[in-house]
Amino acid sequence: MSVEIAARRVPLPGVAAPPVIVDGMHKIYPGGVEAVRGISFEVADGEIFGLLGPNGAGKTTTFGVLTTLVEPTRGRAFVAGHDVVAFPLGVRRAIGVAFQDSVLDNEFSGRENLRLHARLWNLARRDAEQRIDALLALMDLDQRADDNVRTYSGGMRRRLELGRALLANPRVLFLDEPTVGLDPSVRDEIWALVRQLQREEGVTIVLSTHYLEEAEDVCDRVAIMNRGELVALGSPAELIETLGAELVELQIDGDPTAAARELGITLQRASPPLVRRDLVSIAVSDDAADLARQIAAIRSDGLGIIGSTLRRTSLADVFAHRTGRPLDEELGR
Amino acid sequence: MTAIAANFHRSSQRPTGLVPLYGRRLRVATKTVPGIIGQLITPVLWVLIVAPALADALGDFAPGVDYYTYAAIGQIVLLVPFTSMFAGINVIVDKDFGVLRDFLVAPIRRRTIPLANALGVLTVSWVQVVIIIGLAAANGAELDTSASRVVFLFGAVSLLGLGTYGLAEALAYRVGRQEAYGPLIPAIGVTPFMLCGGIYPLAVLPTGVRWLAYFLPWTHAVALVRYALMGTAESGLAQIWGFGAAPVQATLSLAALALFTALAWRLALRVFRRATTS
Ligand SMILES: Nc1ncnc2c1ncn2[C@@H]1O[C@H](COP(=O)(O)OP(=O)(O)O)[C@@H](O)[C@H]1O
Ligand SMILES: [Mg+2]
Repeated sequence: MSVEIAARRVPLPGVAAPPVIVDGMHKIYPGGVEAVRGISFEVADGEIFGLLGPNGAGKTTTFGVLTTLVEPTRGRAFVAGHDVVAFPLGVRRAIGVAFQDSVLDNEFSGRENLRLHARLWNLARRDAEQRIDALLALMDLDQRADDNVRTYSGGMRRRLELGRALLANPRVLFLDEPTVGLDPSVRDEIWALVRQLQREEGVTIVLSTHYLEEAEDVCDRVAIMNRGELVALGSPAELIETLGAELVELQIDGDPTAAARELGITLQRASPPLVRRDLVSIAVSDDAADLARQIAAIRSDGLGIIGSTLRRTSLADVFAHRTGRPLDEELGR
Repeated sequence: MTAIAANFHRSSQRPTGLVPLYGRRLRVATKTVPGIIGQLITPVLWVLIVAPALADALGDFAPGVDYYTYAAIGQIVLLVPFTSMFAGINVIVDKDFGVLRDFLVAPIRRRTIPLANALGVLTVSWVQVVIIIGLAAANGAELDTSASRVVFLFGAVSLLGLGTYGLAEALAYRVGRQEAYGPLIPAIGVTPFMLCGGIYPLAVLPTGVRWLAYFLPWTHAVALVRYALMGTAESGLAQIWGFGAAPVQATLSLAALALFTALAWRLALRVFRRATTS
């Protein structure tokens, strides 16, 4: 990152800067783990921006820098116009955070948790009480508001933390893996809430998740990370478009890696075929019929193709094609 | 949704947080009945049972010094550091399972977090001290105090409480885990008391140990507490300093305590900063 670029990225006073700017950010933890290796992106006002990637990709570290919990080793980041290193208090005034793991005051009730947060964020007391009531209702916690949070289920805790993150009317909301560890039905609920928040509160939302399928529906734009680097940046539709809307998946009886190599040479496509277990997947651009003919032609070439299916391309495929490794291998599934 | 989307304002832009965090720390301390009883039972037991038993067993070691008063008042210096050290567990709980990270992203200066904890714990200590003094007086202790000397009680208890809590914060963040922190509670919360002249005068200690005791904040605190509540002869201040008049000696001991507290907090804030930013 050159000094020139850094200088250009500094938001000018009075100019509506994007709520989040990350510019050439590196993080090397003490001990030498290089968690983030020079990433840059911007988040636009009012959008839902997803930071995606398998565990260890560097999502939480990036959130840490943006929420002033982690000091970047190199590069700069701005949130709500404030440099996260130079003016962390300004950043903290403008953000709401829901952490990856549960961060609640376990001695107290849900309402008491919200009250303390409101006082720390310096909300006028009467406003705070009204907003706490409204948020408890929104999060469907009003019946249990005065119970100790120890008695809450995982989904209730998460909803309370979402409500708390929203309490001080933040300009930017950071949600680190808001659905991790929750049942699928509860996960859907949380995503519906996130969309509702964007619609009704107009807040800019930066979220992270390693469930790429779920992000596809929720996020306006995503940054896909792998091992500290950005491998893709754009709207889910755009990113999928770069591969083609659909994929052919060939089931191989034999050595799928060898088959993939052969297919790559024969088909000469922009993105090489990818192997996952006994499946070789090939992106279909707009020439599906052509591809089908070619595959039909080589089916008898002893590659051991015993079946083929056509399916919709997903962000997980984008990840796989950009990194050369299927996401489920990275996730250790 | 209008209620939620409605604009609302903050009372001010000044970074605060001390008052709400202090209130929260006090509520943590008084949240459970067993917790409250646990914090009150020790001073009550000591003043009503242990100190009288010691007085019976040991009698008077010096003419003119009431040993019951001497021991009952001396235990202030046992209880205050113990309460501080014990409270260090909450630091680890807040860090590992609790709410610390939400405090760290609050628009407040971060050092407010340990400082508010310290004031909360000090408040608990003061309640215990008042109970000790009140019960001891009710139980026949011979207290002799004055407005000018009681200032030293206030200073000694406050500085010892803050200083030992500073140590507790530093150790809690440094060792990080409850299992590792647990053994430090008696090691620091109790052992120095045994050497500081809390139940017997320093004169009975071997010279080497006595010199060690002179450097313990506990020693100065117990002397100040006795100076404030019993008088010059009972304080042992002369034994520590060997020169000057009692008010001078008391001021020196208070300065020694202040130095300890300042050093403990320098360490505490540095360890806190290191533990909370990566
Ligand atoms: N405090 C830390 N100290 C050292 N290494 C860390 C720390 N936090 C995370 N890491 C390492 O940094 C890498 C990225 O982790 P993280 O940002 O948590 O990724 P993600 O949230 O995408 O799973 C991992 O290799 C992780 O082990
Ligand atoms: Mg993470």
